[in-house]
Amino acid sequence: MEITAEKAKEHTAKAKETAGPVISIKGLKKSFGSKEVLKNINLELEKGENIVILGRSGTGKSVTIQCIVGMLTPDAGSVKVFGQEVSELSEKELKELRIRVGFLFQSGALYDSMTVRENMEFPLTRVLKMNDQAEIDKKVEEALDSVGLLDAIDKMPSDLSGGMRKRAGLARTIIVDPEIILYDEPTTGLDPITSREISDLILKIQKKQKTSSIIITHDMECARIASDRVVIMNDGEYVAEGTFDELHQSKDEIVKSYFADIP
Amino acid sequence: MAEEVIIPAWKRWFEGIGDQVAFFFKFFKNIFAGGFEWSEFVRQCYEIGYKSLMLVGITSFIMGVVLILQLRPTLVAFGAASMLPRTLSVSFIREIGPVIIAIICAGKIASSIGAELGSMKVTEQLDAMEVSGANPTQYLVVTRIFATTFMVPLLSVLGDAIGLFGGFLALNIRDSMSFKLYFTKIIAALDFTDFIPALIKTIFFGFAIGFVGCYKGFTSNKGTESVGLSANSAVVTASLWIFVIDAIAVQITSLLYYN
Repeated sequence: MEITAEKAKEHTAKAKETAGPVISIKGLKKSFGSKEVLKNINLELEKGENIVILGRSGTGKSVTIQCIVGMLTPDAGSVKVFGQEVSELSEKELKELRIRVGFLFQSGALYDSMTVRENMEFPLTRVLKMNDQAEIDKKVEEALDSVGLLDAIDKMPSDLSGGMRKRAGLARTIIVDPEIILYDEPTTGLDPITSREISDLILKIQKKQKTSSIIITHDMECARIASDRVVIMNDGEYVAEGTFDELHQSKDEIVKSYFADIP
Repeated sequence: MAEEVIIPAWKRWFEGIGDQVAFFFKFFKNIFAGGFEWSEFVRQCYEIGYKSLMLVGITSFIMGVVLILQLRPTLVAFGAASMLPRTLSVSFIREIGPVIIAIICAGKIASSIGAELGSMKVTEQLDAMEVSGANPTQYLVVTRIFATTFMVPLLSVLGDAIGLFGGFLALNIRDSMSFKLYFTKIIAALDFTDFIPALIKTIFFGFAIGFVGCYKGFTSNKGTESVGLSANSAVVTASLWIFVIDAIAVQITSLLYYN
């Protein structure tokens, strides 16, 4: 069965009726060979909430969000998105779920062989199966305008700067109106000004589209701007959780190390 | 200690075979998944076919010239110089043309598909396509394999024609033969049993080139070094498959037509 634009709207309507956390992770474990990356992860993301996950490289932050969208299968534990157990979904159900969960990759992951416009059109025509060109053009322009990239509509990804690629990637993520967005290090490799612009954009999208988000970052400024709640991960486990200000006051040595440069 | 090294190698080999079978079924399933990507297929035909035209043309032309120059002394020694067009056409159409052109295509096309898809894997574009709910196999794999399966036979036919024309020019360096006589001798020498099996095997060559290129690209590891390895491995594996398919095709053709 094809996933139509109407079906995606149905999902949106259904989600609005969904009570409780939009993502619920319990006892998540994941190993690669003998290396245990996730030891016991428990997390709940409420509707409209932005959670920032902080942690050193290799602590399993990206693995956690990859389990949420079914890119990786957990070894143990439960990952529920909109109340559905991800590992038990059929191929078709997983595809439907992925329309509701946007994923912004660290690099932006724009399709190299397509212009920015074609990148934007891709999920509309291939995933939502839209075929009204006027409606597609309108959505593309709206999405690019919301990230301030309308001028780059006919450029190739290779002609864009790092920040522009991330903004274009973000526009491609939000163009299908996801209810949850997972950000994998959205500000890594960017200068402080562009990083701040991206962080502001994340916040703007949350307010405008009422999305719930999990943001993986090392960027404390991004965490300060975009988070409702911050979770700190160390060695495959969550070691602290709270608002940015609460964690800033923490006496825990691991937590303090993250806020060492924050006045 | 030696066993510890051998067992994982065999395991990896069998895993590789299993992965390729699974990849084939995934491709096969997606042919019928609906919504064939015609625009991407046409774009790939252009990339694979049109952009390989010059390389295939020049190579085939040189092969035609070289074959005539190599064959001539031997045939002249036996007083069979008039057999040159016949010998060239049969050997070129049956074997040399399809195999050389397929090897050229494996070098150009399989490596380019392997590198392109490998690079898409490294830069998370394949993952991005997958998690967006789109179908990367349908968009990237089915179109590329169909394009190579369709274009390699066409390139082969064209290469055969250019090679035979090269042979005609080479023949006229030392001897003199009109194009009409040369063409008539070629047509008289050839039969459908020369042309059709050769054409059919190029379809399989094309499929192997596309399949191996896509498989190597999709199974590329993450890291820039893997892109080069995928491209290299795609060429080696596709070339090997071309010879295996050729050996099987020759056996089948011999059993059907020449025994």
